[in-house]
Amino acid sequence: MAPIIRIVNLTKKFGNFTAVDHLNLEVEEGEILGILGPNGAGKTTTLLMLTTVIKPTEGTAFVGPYDVTREPDKARTLIGMAFQEPKLLWVDAPWDILNWHAKVCGLSAEERKKRVRWALEELQLWNERFKSVHAFSGGMRKRVEIAKILIQRPKIAIVDEPTAQIDIVGKHRIWNMLRELRDEGSTILLATNELYEADVLSDRVAIMHRGKLLVCDEPKKLKDSIPGGDVVEIALEKAVPSEAVEKLKGIQRVVNVLAIKEDYLKIYLNNAEEVLPKIMEFFMKMHVQVKSIRVSEPSLDDVFAHYTGLTIEEAQRK
Amino acid sequence: MISLRRVWTVAERDIKMFMRYKFLLIMRTIWFVAQIALFGLIVNRMFDPSVQSAVGGSYFNYYAAGIIITMLYSTAVFIGYDIYEEADHGVIEYLLSVPVSRKELVLGRSIGGGLRSFIYVGPMMLFILYVIGVTSVFQLLTALLSLFLFTFGVAGFSITLAVTIKSSDRFDILMGVTDALIVRLSTTLYPVAYMPQYYRGLASINPLSFAADLFRWGAGLEAEALTPPLIATFGIAAFFSTFTFLGIFLHERRLEGGGWQ
Repeated sequence: MAPIIRIVNLTKKFGNFTAVDHLNLEVEEGEILGILGPNGAGKTTTLLMLTTVIKPTEGTAFVGPYDVTREPDKARTLIGMAFQEPKLLWVDAPWDILNWHAKVCGLSAEERKKRVRWALEELQLWNERFKSVHAFSGGMRKRVEIAKILIQRPKIAIVDEPTAQIDIVGKHRIWNMLRELRDEGSTILLATNELYEADVLSDRVAIMHRGKLLVCDEPKKLKDSIPGGDVVEIALEKAVPSEAVEKLKGIQRVVNVLAIKEDYLKIYLNNAEEVLPKIMEFFMKMHVQVKSIRVSEPSLDDVFAHYTGLTIEEAQRK
Repeated sequence: MISLRRVWTVAERDIKMFMRYKFLLIMRTIWFVAQIALFGLIVNRMFDPSVQSAVGGSYFNYYAAGIIITMLYSTAVFIGYDIYEEADHGVIEYLLSVPVSRKELVLGRSIGGGLRSFIYVGPMMLFILYVIGVTSVFQLLTALLSLFLFTFGVAGFSITLAVTIKSSDRFDILMGVTDALIVRLSTTLYPVAYMPQYYRGLASINPLSFAADLFRWGAGLEAEALTPPLIATFGIAAFFSTFTFLGIFLHERRLEGGGWQ
């Protein structure tokens, strides 16, 4: 199946500064693609080019069959975007904002009313629907912004840091709503600098840094791509000889074994779920009982660090 | 292909938005009342009969009709200020992302900016028409139709300047100066009979003169006009077309990339 978004050499320069640098990426229909990167990585600029808000300096992107540089009007018919900063005027009220948005997206009066009410209730804004957003908190404004795409249900939903400033309960609610949107047939592009959000929500994650795409794959595969990324800590009933440690290193996908104590090992490996039974079998054959096991997976931060040499926090500071 | 539904949706948003600026609307209404009830009445008493006859019998009526045109102008240009407010809050980016073409967006904003001015000034216009006393309904309808186009043109003019300048301070100053020149270099407030020749030349190509002359003609005032109704109508149509086209052209080229101050 042809990708629903095809980004080809997409570049955006602001004067001498290159915000997006020859980006190539494909997004499959029906997936949630997380774009992860620190502030200034070029995530928002990429999304703004896809929504035709800004024009590329070089390259292009195809949204469905439409080239964003040649057929921007048609490209926009497939896209809905929830911006990083809520785009609201102080005199606006949620009901009017969402009702107008639904109308401009071509929804009938009846459908508009139904969907706006649903979104306002789901996002706990129903009681505030006629109040000016002037008095709203950052989180409430953000919820109004998110409601736009939930109502529109576009073919391609672009969400830029959808849960920034939102409390943890609200985050989970929005994540579930985005998953439902995907299940109903929308493709979702999610830009975020929150590792956990990218991990739990995305089918694939594209990591960007300084305008360039570093890598794009399923979160699990990205984590597995770090040599020795999984760490298994094993406490044993009795000490094991050093030859046993050397033999452990010979098991496929084990990268390194450190004997923290004579009866406590730290094993660096890949695909822990596949290798762990082999390790258990190894100790059973040696008649050494295992007292406890602790497995820790690498995070996307480790993946980012693997490709850039920096954690996301460090990259953000730089 | 321009969709009228989408154009109207954009226009509707601007109309509703304007009605939320209650403080502004109340202040402009007070300004109108003060201009008519204080300035208009007092100045009318200051003029001798020769002046009154040069403007069709009553300078007050001449002035009141002119004030309506200045009200239409000053409320239609407000769309430019809206654009700065929207740039400040990032709403422009949002409007550029919705499934509406740039042409539909500018056309809708010109129509919305003009129509809301007409809706707001409408009751004042009716009051003035009642005071003046309309003699020909056909003339009045023709004039009103042209004034519709005039307000759309003014909104397009304001959008054009706003997206060209991209600085709210400069726009504010420019609009102040433009307002002073465009109102004074026209027949809105000053009778043709008392204009020096060079002043007449400038006033005769001023869209406010076209609008004021047409409105007085439509209301049946027998004041001397600078331009005949047909030419004034064409002048307004040209003004509307020019600034709607320029607005669309510049909107596509200037809005992208930020740079708003």
